[in-house]
Amino acid sequence: MESQTHKEGSNTILTLSGEIDFHVSPKVREAVLAGLDEGQNLLVDLSGVSYIDSSGIASLVEGFQHAKGKSLSFALLGVRDGVMSVLKLTRLDKVFPMFDSVEAATAANK
Amino acid sequence: MIKYVERFGDYVLYVLEQVGWMATLLFKSLYAFAKPPYDLFAVVRQIHFIGARSLFVILVAGGFTGMVLALQFYNTLERFGSIDLLGSATALALVRELGPVLAALMVIGRAGSAMCAEIGIMRISEQIDALECMAIDPYRFLIAPKIIAGIISMPLLTSVFNVMGILGGYLVGVLIFGLSEGAYFDSMYAGVEWNDVEMGLYKSLLFGLTLTWIATAKGYFLHLDRRGAYGAEGVSRTTTDAVVLSSITVLFGDYLIGALML
Amino acid sequence: MTQATSGNAVIEVENLVAGYGDRTVLNGITLSVDSGEIRVIMGGSGSGKTTLLRSLLGLKEIAAGSIHLLGKKFHYGYPKHMSEVRRQMGVAFQGGALFGSMTVGENIRLPLREHTRLDENTMRIMTRIKLELVNLAGFEDLMPSELSGGMIKRAALARAIILDPKLLFFDEPSAGLDPITSAELDELILRVRDATKTTIVVVTHELESALKIADRITVLGKGEVLMTGTVEEIRNSDDSRIQDMLNRRPREEDQDPEEYLRRLTTMQH
Repeated sequence: MESQTHKEGSNTILTLSGEIDFHVSPKVREAVLAGLDEGQNLLVDLSGVSYIDSSGIASLVEGFQHAKGKSLSFALLGVRDGVMSVLKLTRLDKVFPMFDSVEAATAANK
Repeated sequence: MIKYVERFGDYVLYVLEQVGWMATLLFKSLYAFAKPPYDLFAVVRQIHFIGARSLFVILVAGGFTGMVLALQFYNTLERFGSIDLLGSATALALVRELGPVLAALMVIGRAGSAMCAEIGIMRISEQIDALECMAIDPYRFLIAPKIIAGIISMPLLTSVFNVMGILGGYLVGVLIFGLSEGAYFDSMYAGVEWNDVEMGLYKSLLFGLTLTWIATAKGYFLHLDRRGAYGAEGVSRTTTDAVVLSSITVLFGDYLIGALML
Repeated sequence: MTQATSGNAVIEVENLVAGYGDRTVLNGITLSVDSGEIRVIMGGSGSGKTTLLRSLLGLKEIAAGSIHLLGKKFHYGYPKHMSEVRRQMGVAFQGGALFGSMTVGENIRLPLREHTRLDENTMRIMTRIKLELVNLAGFEDLMPSELSGGMIKRAALARAIILDPKLLFFDEPSAGLDPITSAELDELILRVRDATKTTIVVVTHELESALKIADRITVLGKGEVLMTGTVEEIRNSDDSRIQDMLNRRPREEDQDPEEYLRRLTTMQH
């Protein structure tokens, strides 16, 4: 699992790729919380993530909650089928804002 | 005729099998616990269950035992004009024999039976199977903390018992019968040696190991009991067996250590 | 109800022979379950269902044959091997087998505590996600003794799936449940499989549930596999024992009046 954070305008973008399971999710959690420490809205790019387990989902949920606490927005980008079905099963597909591109996400935040 | 021999042989094999299972349990538990990560918190919880919760019983039993000892000894010693020895007599009886043995028997009744019943019920309701299927070693998770807590708790409880006994003896000897306080404690300092305390210590350590080992093993192998141990009757029977077996073993161990050390 | 399976056998049992002491219960069972399949194992009393399940779970010694789970040889006596596979398995026992001294939440979290080094927050959210999934939201601080039968089953399921296992076993999931709760549990099983593609083995004697959720059914009879097939194939089977089971026809006992009278009146000395 690879993770990369960079800033783009008013957003911080955290790009994850590979598979996220409980061996790796602590790193995801750290990356998400660190990303929010930048003080900008956080977009988590999951277009490179083929599989995510519930520990990974839990890390995202915690990140979302954390963002709310800081009055920042938190959204997911490029959610693939495999990940989407897990989000649907856990009914989190209605909770996370999801977009296809950075532009769409930025537009929604205005 | 052959039938009786057969049945006897069968029984002997059955007993050996049981002993084997129990030995396996002890080794597996201690071995499993000796590997990291060490779950010290589990041991602490068990020390609370076996040790702390037995404290009240120990305090009361210790106090009364000391009182009875002083009562009986005073009577006898007076006849020989040696009432000054009351302190050392009471203390020696407690430290060498009654402290370790009675404390162990109290704990067997309280914690030993509870542990056996708890584990027996877990066995029946498939909780131990569930642990195994979750790749959690039941010996490490369930049994080992109890055995280690028993070994740690018994010497401590025994010491408390002894102290209460000495105080009980003081109550009777000094406050009731009027023996001088100085005489009571001085004879104790003179009469009790490290060897005596050591004996009591070894006994309490052994008893701690024995009572937890037997209680947990009986409960754990409940399902292997040939008499069909499932259900309430089975659990109560096994628990009774555990209490009886560990009590007898404590008394036997008491003699053994005494014989070896004296 | 047939799910397209990838064809990878996740469970492979070959000529399994098992019993208790001198009594042989399973007489050479061969079956295999594919990845993502829901397999129901059915059979009357004495057919060997429980023995088969316990052998598959590694809780019982087997006399002959082999069991492979997730590609690894698996049976009693190989604890380290079993440990690896067991972390990818979840089991929901008949009575729930929850630990009475822990709360529901602590019960569900136990595999996480023992096998992962996840943060407390992560574990808490994961526990709650599973509780929501089984409709037990908000019950995490209750003790098992405070739960109803249906709730215990659901908590047991939550614990079984907490590590997102690849293989899930159910021992009589509907036992003791009313029809509505039982149907809800069936739905849950289907939902979990559809979303996570977990392979699921259900041992049950509830016909309705079996026909509803199974991709394939294995019917056992007197220690042997009578048939393994899809719901359709089972329904159309020629085997009278299977038809009896489907139609809930009681087994006929031959009645010899003389014998019967003798059985009723003989005194034991």
